[in-house]
Amino acid sequence: MAASKPSADASSNIPDYEYAEVNTKPFHIGSFRNEWLKRLKPGDFSFQLEDEETFDANFARELRVDAETMAEIKSICSLDSLRCHPEDQQPDTNVVPDDPTLKTLIQRKKRQDYRATLKTPKNRHDLFTDELERAAIGKNPETVTNMIAEGELLLTVNVYYPPVVEKFQYVRPHMTLLMTGSHSLAELRDAICCVSDLQVCGEFSNTPDIAPDFISKDHFKSAFFFFEGIFYNDMRYPECQDISMTTIEWAKTHNFPTFSQAKMEDTRFADLKVKVGFPYLYCHQGDCEHLVIITDIRLMHTSDCLDKRLYPLLTHKHRVLTKKCAVCHVYIGRWFTTNDQFAPSNPCLFCDKCFRLLHYDAQGKKLGDFLAYPYVDRGAFN
Amino acid sequence: MDTPQKLVKTDCEEILHRFQQQESVRFEIFSKIWREMKFSEIFYGLPAQHEKRKFSRLILDTACSYLLPPYSFQIRVGGLYLLYSLYRCQTFSPPEQIRVALKDWEYVEKFEKDALEAKHLDVVYILHQLMCFKAFHFTAMPTLLTFQKKRQKEKPRLCEGFIERASRPQELINIELLEELSNIHDIYGKLKTSASLMSEDAPTPVNLTHKDLIPKLRSTVVDFYTWQQKRIESDEEDYSGEGTSSQQESSKRAEKLAAIKSRAFGQATEAAKSRRHRQVEVDLTSNQAGPSNSSGHTRLSKPSLKVRTNENLHISSDLWKEATATTKISRLTALDFVPEEKPKKNYRKSNKKVKTAKEST
Repeated sequence: MAASKPSADASSNIPDYEYAEVNTKPFHIGSFRNEWLKRLKPGDFSFQLEDEETFDANFARELRVDAETMAEIKSICSLDSLRCHPEDQQPDTNVVPDDPTLKTLIQRKKRQDYRATLKTPKNRHDLFTDELERAAIGKNPETVTNMIAEGELLLTVNVYYPPVVEKFQYVRPHMTLLMTGSHSLAELRDAICCVSDLQVCGEFSNTPDIAPDFISKDHFKSAFFFFEGIFYNDMRYPECQDISMTTIEWAKTHNFPTFSQAKMEDTRFADLKVKVGFPYLYCHQGDCEHLVIITDIRLMHTSDCLDKRLYPLLTHKHRVLTKKCAVCHVYIGRWFTTNDQFAPSNPCLFCDKCFRLLHYDAQGKKLGDFLAYPYVDRGAFN
Repeated sequence: MDTPQKLVKTDCEEILHRFQQQESVRFEIFSKIWREMKFSEIFYGLPAQHEKRKFSRLILDTACSYLLPPYSFQIRVGGLYLLYSLYRCQTFSPPEQIRVALKDWEYVEKFEKDALEAKHLDVVYILHQLMCFKAFHFTAMPTLLTFQKKRQKEKPRLCEGFIERASRPQELINIELLEELSNIHDIYGKLKTSASLMSEDAPTPVNLTHKDLIPKLRSTVVDFYTWQQKRIESDEEDYSGEGTSSQQESSKRAEKLAAIKSRAFGQATEAAKSRRHRQVEVDLTSNQAGPSNSSGHTRLSKPSLKVRTNENLHISSDLWKEATATTKISRLTALDFVPEEKPKKNYRKSNKKVKTAKEST
């Protein structure tokens, strides 16, 4: 295992900016967790909520406060002292109150008034984001064995789509995954969904039924992550190759600092030494390259999803425009034909149903002359 | 239009400023201001769930910065109260948490210790309440980092009025230290004289110490302190003069700018075309006398290269004379010595024209 050892110097594991608000200096994730746990009482990061009475009792005892003062403090600091509306009427929290004085509200009022003039009150992107959020928050498992341990780390990992389309260089489409510190990199790899894993190579106009058995994911299993000078290769299967070797050899002959290798499946996030906010690489299918940014690392909180089985947890996904079938304009294209006498254009895109209806008879016999290739849309994972 | 970040910041600064003016660290005072400003309403009017979260995230991150140095203790207490109130007033559940970075945690602990020592029970109570509600996310960094490089760095604007005055010199150099120093000084002096007495053939001892080090040090610190006090006073005067809200400030600035512009334009159009440069010259001087100069509109005029070299070069007197003599001779022998003044003058005028043109735009 070539994952970097936890360094002895404690201060180097307290993350700090390398470039302000851009990325941090490298630090060891496991030691970072230990630093936090050293500073906190077990109660601070436990998932159990302390009830009010024990809290009051503890507070009074620790600070040697008598009951009278305690009651006074409690009444002063109660939530009622912050209420801005009369007790008997609950305001509608979904609208901006009239005549706001706060600057934020003045602007929000303007926007609200503008929105009221629009025809579509709620767009589907809002709905979708809300939906994803509901899936993630506050899910507790029924059994204790699936419960995440207290003081576990939660990592937020952004995996960016390869910038194969020009637009992607500006909008930075990505998916966001939540991982725990004890996950291995291989588990992250399996959670990343990329359409290049689903591609099928070859011409299948004679045997359209067997096409789905040949997806690239099963053929080409090699992949690697690159973090801080180390290539983490996927070596779980006998057919896996060390595809980072080419780069390492090349770097050697060109006076670059030497890189080392490790196994993806043996490396947990807690063993890594990384910079938060810094772009690293995930490469699979030979040349499908994704940037990977660890945007956040923190201790698990009681309001997070605590069910082990739900991780890696997807919290954000970019939606890509899909290309539809040229016949029905409803379903996403699955077949791509060339030299097709039935098609309005060359090449042409069909969904599975329209493709078969148009190109084969009831017995599944090929009609006419054409070449057909399976097509996987970029938005297949929407 | 301002970004939401800026607006939230101004709102937070407004409530903290009012809290600062009360010169108190009591939660009663804070909650009174909170109610007066109807600060709970800041969460209203966001129908979509993810919008609510995004906004909570933003305002908690903004407020969290006031809990940390370099702000004064009172502002940090205000920041804590603000965080607590915002956290409790979120309109959805589970609420967003306050993010504290590992590197900032020691400041929070120190802050708690200070509050405990000063017996500010409400401060400690509220901090403990937040811990009890599990209101904190213990994170690596205060915000999520996505390698967003900004082409033009916007400096994080610190609110000057909130920052604690430096008191390190006073803390470091106190009476005890001065006494200690003078003792050491005496002992050292005695030791040295005795040493030089013992070995009589030694040359005169090297003098490495200042005789009046201690009084000098003391007066320097006192000077620093009085200077600081003066600055605080003048700052406060400025502040009260300018009014509290930033809107007033900005409108004042706009008025000032408008005044400058109108003056510049007005004068330029009044003058006849042929005499414009003279008119403008007058305008310039009047501008310099007026308060508008302080707005940083006129460029700093450097002395010319010739003047600067004359200042910087110290040539011994003989050489200098010789040099000037040769130039005089050469100039006398040269044909066009007399018009030397003229182009310079022209240049100055044209230069001023350019300057004023720039100003008026």
